[in-house]
Amino acid sequence: MKCPRCDSEKVRIMTKSPVGDAWEIYVCDHCCYSWRSTENIQISEIFKLNDEKIANMGIIPPIPPLKK
Amino acid sequence: MTKVYKDLRDFLATLEEEGQLVRIKEEVMPEPDIGAAGRAAANIENSPAILFEKVNGYNYSLVTNVHGSWRNHALMLGLPKDTTIKEQFFELNRRWDKFPVPPKILAREEALCKENVITENINLFDILPLYRINEQDGGFFLSKASVISGDPEFPEDLNKLNVGIYRIQVKDVDRLAIQPMPVHDIAIQLAKAEEKDEPLPVAIALGVSPLVTFMASTPVAYDQNEYEFVGALQDGVPCEIVKADTCDHLYVPAHAEVIIEGYIIPRKRFVEGAFGEFPGSYSGCRKQCEIQITRITHRTKPIFENLYIGMPWTETDYLVGLNTSIPLYKQIKATMPEVVAVNAMYTHGIGVIISTKVRYGGYGKGVAFRLLSTPHGMPYSKIVIIVDEYVDPFNLEQVMWALTTRVKPSKDVVIIPNCSGMVLDPSSNPAGMHDKLIIDATTPVAPEPNPRSCEMLVPSPATPKWEEILRQLQHAAQKK
Ligand SMILES: [Zn+2]
Repeated sequence: MKCPRCDSEKVRIMTKSPVGDAWEIYVCDHCCYSWRSTENIQISEIFKLNDEKIANMGIIPPIPPLKK
Repeated sequence: MTKVYKDLRDFLATLEEEGQLVRIKEEVMPEPDIGAAGRAAANIENSPAILFEKVNGYNYSLVTNVHGSWRNHALMLGLPKDTTIKEQFFELNRRWDKFPVPPKILAREEALCKENVITENINLFDILPLYRINEQDGGFFLSKASVISGDPEFPEDLNKLNVGIYRIQVKDVDRLAIQPMPVHDIAIQLAKAEEKDEPLPVAIALGVSPLVTFMASTPVAYDQNEYEFVGALQDGVPCEIVKADTCDHLYVPAHAEVIIEGYIIPRKRFVEGAFGEFPGSYSGCRKQCEIQITRITHRTKPIFENLYIGMPWTETDYLVGLNTSIPLYKQIKATMPEVVAVNAMYTHGIGVIISTKVRYGGYGKGVAFRLLSTPHGMPYSKIVIIVDEYVDPFNLEQVMWALTTRVKPSKDVVIIPNCSGMVLDPSSNPAGMHDKLIIDATTPVAPEPNPRSCEMLVPSPATPKWEEILRQLQHAAQKK
């Protein structure tokens, strides 16, 4: 299975429904997208991710320098 | 005695009695049903809270739109549900001055949030019916969680305890992402922990009494304790809190439905988002902090409380509307006692309407300048409308009347270019700079000439009596 947002194959089952066999939740370990097996996932072009976008993302809040 | 709610369940019972809570008894799908119902509730007037009793695949129930109408907001304050916004404003303003009211610290066995404890095989999906709120969100979010954190430098100082609402993404069964913006109190605490490469302990409360959520979404000063404000807004009745299990200096609402405890992992950031936000547009992906969950306590059959967020008005706007207006009112009123009321409810105070008595010519514009020099008004407020003291600034029909009958654009409409602006306002360019628009819709007073003064209609003194009669008759008719 591929991640619908970044096409990575580093996708795993995060969990299954606590009641019955209703659904599974998947998560992409590359871009952190998560979704349910019962969803019809259609990600807009603007929200698709690739390595370049991930590398250039802003960091909130900034990490302060270590104090000795 | 003001009606004060012990916990979320107590408030939900009142909402139901007042016809301001509906139950969805049929099973719903997590997507798209719950997000869609949240949007739908935002679209209709006097909207009730919505309790979903059964969500496909999950154990427990879920409630949304708890604060999502002026009726529910009035009931939160223990007022009759038809209380006008202006009356709610003055009541809040009165209670605000009761700060500080120290919280009541309960023993562990008195706190209902401790009924059940999970320390192994933690899985949020076992406890919470999580769902995607808006279609392009990057996952499942907690949009109405009160996050409690302390100052690592002064852990014993309860005044530096912070209770705030931050957007939280579920990253794994026992991991959450949190968004502390650099201006938020928790970011100050996190920086102190990260400088030493230490984890920052946090507790997250879900499903709390309505004024706790209200205060958690109010920006107060860093050394003002939100729980002491809750006591003030409960008209002097202390907020009940209890010590967290995993951290001695964190206190949580005693009867919360669910308490998640853990710590922010220091010096690491992970992809978070996208997430549909309050201006009605998405905020994209960024790298943010994550929380490792170490313990969950919860009430038996916990109710998950969450909110829909999107283009105004949504539940979010009811939560931040009056608590943005009141601090501005207090600041302006301190030097300009003629000011009657401040409505800063539009997109977090970007749009503001102030009613004031006009002491002398040009006073209306002076009030606008005063607003634009307050700490919040300087960056945020962009469109300022000033109306006479008898115009209710919360009644937009009256405000439109003032604009249409009092404004001469060539002298009353002023644009001040190149001032400070609000970064998240998409029309601010460069981000953080903006023009200011002042519309003075007050009646001219000397020395400003008023060449066509008019004779105002004066309502009969019997009008309030008749308002009351009509209200009661209508109320009786609705009950049939
Ligand atoms: Zn991915």
